[in-house]
Amino acid sequence: MIEARGLTKRYGRQTAVSGLDFRVEPGRVTGFLGPNGAGKSTTMRMILGLDLPSSGSVTVNGRRYRGMVWPLHEIGALLDARAVHPGRSAYNHLHSLAAANGIPRDRVDVVLEQVGLAAVARKRVGGFSLGMSQRLGIAGALLGDPGILLFDEPVNGLDPDGILWIRTLMRSLAAEGRTVLVSSHLMSETALTADHLLVIGEGRLLADMPLDELIARDATDRVEVRAVDHHRLAGELRTLGGEVTLRPDGTLLVVGVESAAIGELAAARGHVLHQLRDVTSSLEEAYFRLTEGSVVYRAPVPA
Amino acid sequence: MNAHLVRTAAEGRRHGPRARLRATARSEWVKLWSVRSAPAVLGATAVVIVLGALVLCSGYRSGWASMSASERAAFDPASTSLRGIEPAQLFVGALGVLAVTGEYGTGLIRTTLAATPQRAQVLVVKGLVLGAVVWAVTTASSFGAFALGQHLLTGPVPHAELEDPGVLRAVLGGGLYLTLIALFGTALGALSRSTPLGLAALFGVLLVLPLMVGLLPSGLADGILPYLPGEAGSQVWHVMPPSPHSLGPWQGFSLFALDVVVSAGAVLTLTRKRDV
Amino acid sequence: MPTDTSGTPVPAARARRPPVPRHAPVTPLSRGRAVLASEWIKLRSLRSLRATALSGFAFSVGLAFLVCSGFQARWHTLGAQAQAHFRPVDTGLGFLQITPLFFGALGALVVTTEYGTGQIRGTFVATPQRPLVLAAKALLVGLLGFGLALVTVSAAFLLGQSRLSGATPHASPADSGAAGAVLGGALYLTLTGLLGLFLGALARSTAVAISALLCLFTILPVLVNNLPKGFVWRHTVPYLPSNLGFSLWHSHVGFLLRPVSAGCVLALYVVVTAAAGMALLRTRDG
Repeated sequence: MIEARGLTKRYGRQTAVSGLDFRVEPGRVTGFLGPNGAGKSTTMRMILGLDLPSSGSVTVNGRRYRGMVWPLHEIGALLDARAVHPGRSAYNHLHSLAAANGIPRDRVDVVLEQVGLAAVARKRVGGFSLGMSQRLGIAGALLGDPGILLFDEPVNGLDPDGILWIRTLMRSLAAEGRTVLVSSHLMSETALTADHLLVIGEGRLLADMPLDELIARDATDRVEVRAVDHHRLAGELRTLGGEVTLRPDGTLLVVGVESAAIGELAAARGHVLHQLRDVTSSLEEAYFRLTEGSVVYRAPVPA
Repeated sequence: MNAHLVRTAAEGRRHGPRARLRATARSEWVKLWSVRSAPAVLGATAVVIVLGALVLCSGYRSGWASMSASERAAFDPASTSLRGIEPAQLFVGALGVLAVTGEYGTGLIRTTLAATPQRAQVLVVKGLVLGAVVWAVTTASSFGAFALGQHLLTGPVPHAELEDPGVLRAVLGGGLYLTLIALFGTALGALSRSTPLGLAALFGVLLVLPLMVGLLPSGLADGILPYLPGEAGSQVWHVMPPSPHSLGPWQGFSLFALDVVVSAGAVLTLTRKRDV
Repeated sequence: MPTDTSGTPVPAARARRPPVPRHAPVTPLSRGRAVLASEWIKLRSLRSLRATALSGFAFSVGLAFLVCSGFQARWHTLGAQAQAHFRPVDTGLGFLQITPLFFGALGALVVTTEYGTGQIRGTFVATPQRPLVLAAKALLVGLLGFGLALVTVSAAFLLGQSRLSGATPHASPADSGAAGAVLGGALYLTLTGLLGLFLGALARSTAVAISALLCLFTILPVLVNNLPKGFVWRHTVPYLPSNLGFSLWHSHVGFLLRPVSAGCVLALYVVVTAAAGMALLRTRDG
C-alpha cells in the first residue's frame, strides 16, 4: 500500500504538488490521471524517494522509501523507458538491477521471457524501439516480484498488441492481490484498466474514487429513443417532464425520464420503437468536468 | 501480505548491512563491465603508460650525448619510465567522471537509486569498485612500463633497479596515484552531475592550474605549485624530487588523498538533499 | 479560380494556404547562404558557446592581469638573471599556453552538441549537403573566432602591460614585435578553434574531442618539451600544435620553427583534419 499525507513539493516559487492525501490500496488497479504538468511524475518520484517532499510524507508499506534496504522486493517501477545506458545489453541492465537487490540471476531470464524480450536479451539497448524499451522497463519493475507496482505512462509507444498485453498484465497483477498504480493521460485506456482513480490538476487532488462512481457522479443520464412517430412521442415525453432533443437523424435524446418509463409510455400509447438505449457519460467527459480550469498547458483553440 | 507473493525473487535476499553492501558492489561491478567504454579506456590507459616509457626512454637514450652535466645529474631513470602516467591520468580521470555523469545523462541514476535508496552507499561503492579495477590495471602497467623503460636505458645512460632506494615505492606509487585520480574524477562527476562540467573541473585542477601558476614569478610559483593536487600527488611516483620545493612522496600523496576525501565528503552531504 | 504566376489555375485547396516562400532560383550560392544563415542562428542561440567564449575571455584577461601584477609586485625579489631574461610581451601573453583549450572546446562544441542532442539529424535532413554544413560552421567559427581572439588577446595585452611600470620593463603596442605577437596569438587561437571544430566532427562526442584537445595542448608539451634535443626531437617536437602556436606569439623560439612557417604548418593541420572530417561525414550514417 502507498500512503501520502499532506504531500507537497515546491521548486523555488513554483508549487508542483500541494497537500496530496491519498492511499493506493492492494488488489485493484489505481489510475493516476491528470493533464501534463499536473504533478503526476513528481508524485511518483517522491514515492520512490528520488525527490524529497518539501513537506508532508509518502510511505510505501508504512515506511519511507529511503529507509528500505531491498526496495525492489516490495515495489517495482517503470519511470522513463529510455533511461538505460544505450551500450548495455537488456540482460546486463536487468542483471545489474537484480544484483543490487540480491535477486537471483534466473529471475532476469524469467522476466525477459515474461515481457517477450528473451530473443533480444543480449542485444544492445541502444538499438531498441520505444516499445521494446518500454517492455524492458516493465521487466525491471517485475524483477523483484514486488507487491506494489508503479507504471508511469506504460503504454507510450506500444503497438495495439503491446497495449492489450500490458492491460492484461496490470489486471492480472491486481487480481493476484498486488497494488498497481498507473499514471496516464489516455482516458479510454485508463477506463479499460483502472478500478479506482486518483485525479490531480495543478498539483491538487481533484478526485479519489472508484471509476464507476467518478463517471456516475453528477453525470446526467440520457436515453436514446428511435420511434416511427418521433414527433408525437417527443410531445408526450415533454408532458411527462422530460427534456427532449430531436437529432437530425430522427433520434430523440431524453433527459429526465428513465428508460423504463419511456418503454411503458410507448406500450400504452401504441408506439413502434426501433431503439431504446441508456447513454452513460464517458470517463473522458467526467475527466473534463473535473479538470476544467486546471489545465496548465492548453493549446489555443484553432479559429 | 499474501503468502503466494513470496516467490523465487526473495530467495537471494540476505539480511544485514554486509549483504546490502555486497549487493551494491555486485551491481556496480556488472554495470562497469557491461559497457564497452570501461574495458576500452582501461586498455588504452595501459597502452599509454607503456608507450610513454618507450618514447621517453628511447628519447633519452638517443639524446643523452647532447645533454649537459647538470641535466644528466637531474636524470631520474625510474620516474622517466613512468611518465606515461601523465597522459594516462586523462583516461582514468575521464572514466571516473563518466562513471557517475553517464548515469545522470541517461536518467539511469533514477533506476539505480530506486533499486538502492542508500545513496551514499551507491556512490562510495561505485568509487571503490572503479578504484580497485583502476588500481589493478595501472599498477600492472606501471611495472610493465618500468621494466620496458629500464631495458631501453642502456650504455652510458643510467638505469634503475627495483631494489634501489625509493624505486619500488615509485612504481607502486604510479598505480596509487592513478587510482586517486579516478576517485577524484568520480567525486567531481558526482558534484557536477554533468559530463562537460565534471571533465572541466577535473582537468582544470589537474592540468590547467599548474600551467597558470607556472606563469607567475618563480618565488610566488614555488610557494603554490607543490600544494596543487596533481603536483602533490605525483611525488609518490618520483624517486628524485622534480624541484627543490616539492613535498615528500608520502607527504604529497597524503595531501592529494585529503583533497579527494574532502570532495567526496562534499558529495555525500549534498546527495542526501538533492533531488534526482 | 486563383492562378499561379504562369497563369495556370491551381486547385482551391492548394491556393488557400500561401506557399512557403523559397528563394528562387536555387544556385550553389543561395544554398550556401541559406546554410550559413541557419548555422548562424544555431550558433547565436547556444548557451554553452556563449559561456565558453565569455569564460575564455575572462580567463585570459584575468590571468594576464594576475601574472603581470605578480611580476610588478615581486620585481625586486627576482634575481639578476631572471630580470635580464624578462620579456614583458612574452610574460603578458603567457595565458596563450592555456587559452587554446577554450577556443578548441568552443569549436568542438559547435559540432558535438548537435550530435549529443540528436539535432544533427534534423540539420542533415534540412541540408543533405553535409560538407556544406561543416564548411558553413567552419566559416563562422573562423570569422567569429578571429574576432573574439583579437579582442581577447589585445585586451589581455593592454591590461597586462598597464600593470607593469617603474623599474619593470613594459611594452606598448607600438613596440617592435608587440603587434606581431598579439596578431600571432589571435591567429593561433583561431586555428585551434577550427582544429577543435574538425576534431569534434571526427569524434562526434564532446568528451572525446575535449580529451584530444587536452592531450594535444597540455599533456604532450609537458611530456616531450624537456627531452634531450636530439635528432628525433628536432624533427618531431617543434611540429606539435602547441609548439607551432608558441612560435607564433613568443619571442624566444629556440629550436622551434619561425613564425611564418609555423603558421603555415598549423594551417596545414587544420586542412588535413578538415579533409578527414569531410570525408567521414559523407560515408558515415547519422
